[in-house]
Amino acid sequence: MSNQRKRNFQIEAFKQRVVVDPKYADKTWKILEHAIHEIYNHNASGLSFEELYRNAYNMVLHKFGEKLYTGLVTTMTFHLKEICKSIEEAQGGAFLELLNRKWNDHNKALQMIRDILMYMDRTYVPSLKKTHVHELGLHLWRDSVLHSSKVQTRLLDTLLDLVHKERTGEVIDRVLMRNVIKMFMDLGESVYQEDFEKPFLEASAEFYKVESQGFIESCDCGDYLKKAEKPLTEEVERVAHYLDAKSEAKITSVVEREMIANHVQRLVHMENSGLVNMLLNDKYEDMGRMYSLFRRVSNGLVTVRDVMTLHLREMGKQLVTDPEKSKDPVEFVQRLLDERDKYDKIINLAFSNDKTFQNALNSSFEYFLNLNTRSPEFISLFVDDKLRKGLKGVGEEDVDLILDKVMMLFRYLQEKDVFEKYYKQHLAKRLLSGKTVSDDAERNLIVKLKTECGYQFTSKLEGMFTDMKTSHDTLLGFYNSHPELSEGPTLVVQVLTTGSWPTQPTVQCNLPAEVSVLCEKFRSYYLGTHTGRRLSWQTNMGTADIKAVFGKSQRHELNVSTFQMCVLMLFNNSDRLSYKEIEQATEIPASDLKRCLQSMACVKGKNVLRKEPMSKDIGEEDSFIVNDRFTSKFYKVKIGTVVAQKETEPEKQETRQRVEEDRKPQIEAAIVRIMKSRRVLDHNNIIAEVIKQLQSRFLANPTEIKKRIESLIERDFLERDSTDRKLYRYLA
Amino acid sequence: MGISKDRIKFNVGGRLFETTATTLANAGRDSFFGALFDDGWNLSPQDSVIFVDRNSDCFAVLLDLLRTGDLNVPANIPERLLHREASFYCLLDHVRSARWGPFDGNRLRLSDSVKGTSPGDGTAIRAGPDGGCCVAHGSVVHVYDWMLEEHSPINLDYQRVNDVGWIDSDNIVLSACERLGRGDGGMGLFSSSSGDLRYKFQVSHENQVKSYTAGALSFSPDYEIFASCKGRSNEYGIGVWDQITGKQTDFFYESPGWSLGDADKLQWLNGKSCLLVATLFPRKDNCYISLLDFRDKNMVWSWSDIGSPMAIDEKRVRDAIAMEDSNSICVVNEFEDLGFIDLRMYGGSVRWSSRSKLMKSKMPDEPCYPKLALHEGQLFSSMNDSISVFCGPDWVLTSRLRRSYGGSICDFSIGGDRLFALHSEENVFDVWETPPPPII
Repeated sequence: MSNQRKRNFQIEAFKQRVVVDPKYADKTWKILEHAIHEIYNHNASGLSFEELYRNAYNMVLHKFGEKLYTGLVTTMTFHLKEICKSIEEAQGGAFLELLNRKWNDHNKALQMIRDILMYMDRTYVPSLKKTHVHELGLHLWRDSVLHSSKVQTRLLDTLLDLVHKERTGEVIDRVLMRNVIKMFMDLGESVYQEDFEKPFLEASAEFYKVESQGFIESCDCGDYLKKAEKPLTEEVERVAHYLDAKSEAKITSVVEREMIANHVQRLVHMENSGLVNMLLNDKYEDMGRMYSLFRRVSNGLVTVRDVMTLHLREMGKQLVTDPEKSKDPVEFVQRLLDERDKYDKIINLAFSNDKTFQNALNSSFEYFLNLNTRSPEFISLFVDDKLRKGLKGVGEEDVDLILDKVMMLFRYLQEKDVFEKYYKQHLAKRLLSGKTVSDDAERNLIVKLKTECGYQFTSKLEGMFTDMKTSHDTLLGFYNSHPELSEGPTLVVQVLTTGSWPTQPTVQCNLPAEVSVLCEKFRSYYLGTHTGRRLSWQTNMGTADIKAVFGKSQRHELNVSTFQMCVLMLFNNSDRLSYKEIEQATEIPASDLKRCLQSMACVKGKNVLRKEPMSKDIGEEDSFIVNDRFTSKFYKVKIGTVVAQKETEPEKQETRQRVEEDRKPQIEAAIVRIMKSRRVLDHNNIIAEVIKQLQSRFLANPTEIKKRIESLIERDFLERDSTDRKLYRYLA
Repeated sequence: MGISKDRIKFNVGGRLFETTATTLANAGRDSFFGALFDDGWNLSPQDSVIFVDRNSDCFAVLLDLLRTGDLNVPANIPERLLHREASFYCLLDHVRSARWGPFDGNRLRLSDSVKGTSPGDGTAIRAGPDGGCCVAHGSVVHVYDWMLEEHSPINLDYQRVNDVGWIDSDNIVLSACERLGRGDGGMGLFSSSSGDLRYKFQVSHENQVKSYTAGALSFSPDYEIFASCKGRSNEYGIGVWDQITGKQTDFFYESPGWSLGDADKLQWLNGKSCLLVATLFPRKDNCYISLLDFRDKNMVWSWSDIGSPMAIDEKRVRDAIAMEDSNSICVVNEFEDLGFIDLRMYGGSVRWSSRSKLMKSKMPDEPCYPKLALHEGQLFSSMNDSISVFCGPDWVLTSRLRRSYGGSICDFSIGGDRLFALHSEENVFDVWETPPPPII
């Protein structure tokens, strides 16, 4: 007190003052200090809580809070320094255990100290904004023990060493580990992060860097992935056992970076074991592992996907452009389907049906399938093959499955109208020759096409089916109205609506009298029931079953084309006919006639005619005789059926041309539709819109669109803007 | 723990008490009893008695409080003694929460009147968050805790205090007038228990610290402080500070023809994230009420009586309060007529509900301007010596709080489940509180 020196001049107050023992505070503090010592020395059993509490209360009440608080700090610091010294002296393994024990002791002591200083903690501490006793105890431990130069590094090294030992397969005391690390957490998040977590993550990164380098030098991709999987689960387990739960994400990302992210490129492209190898050898398990590991790092899956796409495109390109492989259309398509199945399975089993992978697969197929302009034709041929014979004895569901797969390929096609063209041709042949295996399967596919491309796309195809059915009914009606015709040859007529069917040039020929009479009767019946129609005979598309007797009563039923029938019927009246005579009598065009004669005279096993002279080709000077020695082990003999075949080069050109021709009105219609709604539009936008509108049918060629626009301008549908030449206007 | 083992005996100041550990557990861990039962302490064997050197009568009351949750103080125990004893056991919080019930404007009882000693009229009274209050008189602010014991007053030495506000139970913000040529004034943070200045809030204009006069105060739950400010060189407007860092974060400058820096009342609207600023007669000749959005420095709503016929003097707005639930602003004139302005319309007019024409004839000699307050759907309006409580969607008068002693009410405040009313005469303030809920 400052006025002690002036004591001489002090004047006694009048009022009797109650003088508090000046030593009171010191005495009381001594008691409390002693108690704190006893508590740290595990000697608290003799202490009276009530007395100590009351003493602490009185000190605060009598304004000695400051003395009490600073006394507490000094005393506790003293004990912590002692503790620190004893920990420093610990040898080897005892170090960590002693630290843990002392930490527990300190916590217990802290709790008891807080109990006796409760009043101070609740009144004095908050009003002066001091640190609460419990927190103070933690801070002092941190500063005096944890951050003491001899403990800090040793503790960290010990902990990291233990983690390292565990990583290399040794068993460590996890409980002790957890308790010590819990101490860091109890001291506050920042202490845990700064004093333990950060160095731990750094050490882990270093460890896994070395580890992964070793693996990648010695292992192939699959084995490496197996090895990379392990630490991920191990570290998560480690966090669960003795680290703060918040560290899980951090350590996982360290492992991901060191084990995976840093090696993505090298792993994917690893020679003889990288992704391409896995794809080729269907290594589902390895790829699945790669997927689940690589998805953890930012650019992992993108790399996998890109490599897969590149490989797919390369492989597909080879597949579709190899002339050897595109020889047989059925095999060609089957190979495509097999590839798709293979990759579907890979994506399903290994890449967990990842949408982005599926998209990559689809875009790759779309890319290479359209590299071959004959893909639409081949797909139609594949369907034709399946619907002709392939589906026999196959269950309905399997049929559906095959058709669905075909539809998948169809979806990739850019030139869907080309497909339609071929499909129509092939379907017509199937229907007319009665070769289709299952009506249900046919209709099923039409429905699929319809859902895919809309009503317009299939309306003509459906018309063909309707024609078939009406024809059947018409024939029944025809024979019912002419009961006298039950004797003699039977005529089967299929009335085809013009436009619905692929157009063929009408080829006329002279039918035999028996047949032409029947035809006339049918014509008059048909035109009698339907007014305003015109019938023309497509003799080039018909077939006939005729009974023939060879030599010594060798009876056969011959299945022939209409042309062949006409020729054979001539031999009812004469034994030998020259080419010229036949041509004159039947009036079949030369090319067709030659083909049909060839199939009857030159094919082994089908040679119902003999040709003189014998040669492979039909000459104009040749003459023909019925082959009396014709034999066959079958009663019914099929001769020279017209099978849908891969088109020859000129045919291909023709189809192509027809397709181009058909596209013109469609492009024009699209242009007019667009201009009608937009009125004014610039060139680039028209092109873009037209391509978009026609996408479902074919990929419109910009030059062709330009030509169509010009043609429309000529015909006064559009005009160019007078100022901006790039702008078109619609003329109503 | 079995029933019999649960028993505990105390000898308090010579009187024997017997209770159970379950009852004492109600005191909580942070109390004398909580500490006593810590594992570290060697409790004497079952049959022995724990001696406590304290007042036995108070112990009986406090033990009863732990048993029932009810506080019943016999007439022979002075409050101060009970509080002192409760403080020893760290049970003051228990006593406080048992003392009065949750606030309800229609069930208020006058629990105490405290007479002040300051000369002159009181400026403002503000309820603290835990039942205490502070009263501003001229340049002094008197601080009372919930036991209504006065702490060291805050003395600003001739700087007139304009407004007071509680940051928390330990911190009070004061706004004060600048004194010419002294460079002081402005706003400061003070300790409620010791009255010491803890922090001084500064205002800078163009990176230059300027002296200023701070007027009305308001606080947002995002730890912001708002104050109307008047600077020396016409830097008028609303300043914003961060409660945690104490730094100025924003300043909304007053635009010509509108008043912000002189505002009488600020109110933070949590739902709209806007600040209501009201400048009223007689500080200015006209009333200006506006809503400020600080996020884009925009005045999103405003109303003024400029241009309305001045002949009807009684239609002068004397206080305003925003009611977010009904999207309106309630205003009051000096005859306690309530008026409402629609917040959804820009430039709406006041819809007056003329209630009390009778008041005109019996105005007291020294009238006080009416004040408004809102608390959980109840509207409070002070007029002369009484406070009216309005409830329901149509704001029907449901209660009237009146006490003749002390004259007109110049300010009142609700907080900590209590209502404090400051009277203009004798510096007396009343404490109104809701009694604890009924037994059944």
